[in-house]
Amino acid sequence: MNDSFNGANLFTELERLQRQMSTLFDGLPSSLRTGRFDAFPQINVGSTDDTLEIVAFAPGLDPAKLEVSVEKGLLVIAGERVTRDGTLPDGTREYAHERFSGAFRRAIELPQHADPDKVQARYVDGCLLISVGKRETSKPRAITVQ
Amino acid sequence: MSDTTQVTERGQSAVAPQDSNDQRRRDPRTPPVDIIEDAHSVTLWADLPGVTKDRLEVKVQDGRLTIDAESVVPVPTNLRLIHAEIRAPRFSRSFTVSDDFDTSRIDASLKDGVLRLTLPRREEAKPRRIEVAVK
Repeated sequence: MNDSFNGANLFTELERLQRQMSTLFDGLPSSLRTGRFDAFPQINVGSTDDTLEIVAFAPGLDPAKLEVSVEKGLLVIAGERVTRDGTLPDGTREYAHERFSGAFRRAIELPQHADPDKVQARYVDGCLLISVGKRETSKPRAITVQ
Repeated sequence: MSDTTQVTERGQSAVAPQDSNDQRRRDPRTPPVDIIEDAHSVTLWADLPGVTKDRLEVKVQDGRLTIDAESVVPVPTNLRLIHAEIRAPRFSRSFTVSDDFDTSRIDASLKDGVLRLTLPRREEAKPRRIEVAVK
């Protein structure tokens, strides 16, 4: 919040605040490991009958340098985003620097019924799509009424 | 099972209550940008995750550069959203472009959800559409 009022960042800051407020009031459960509201990359998590689907909105990354790991029920997405090589050449001016750059790490707590052996990840159009299978026992089944 | 759907839009109908905030959530997001100017041109990078070439529109008209895009994430159709940090699937942002840029020679490319626009300096602005090249 320190640089809230230096011009160009004000609207970004307001938007971040709005996002933060909407998260607070949406009532979706949030975890201790969720981290800051504007953390990079932003993540959506959804569930189907067979899988848990995680989407990380992480544009402009080199998939080879993207690390996805599962350890003790924790799915970790880590990497580094380089938006510019080194310093600006002479005679160039920077007007906006809003995009995230640097190292990042985000952790997602997997539910008990997630199967760490069934994880698939792919990188499409700047989105990291991770699919985690569920254990057989946790899949929905119809119960016959006697 | 991998139908192309909008993970964000789907979430609204699946989990989020349909309340008065609904409209606000559909409002387009402002994508973060980096802008750098050198002696010849201004270069702009915009983060548009999940956006493909056919869902992106970049245009210059009446001295305004507008970027409109929609992100589409390939997820299974029967997805129920559990946790959402991104809700609105649309992006929109516009900038004023002064007359000293040559809007007939704007170069646009989209790669891994990052749009890069290069606006060369000089000449007056005419309304025109910019083709987006995918690298």
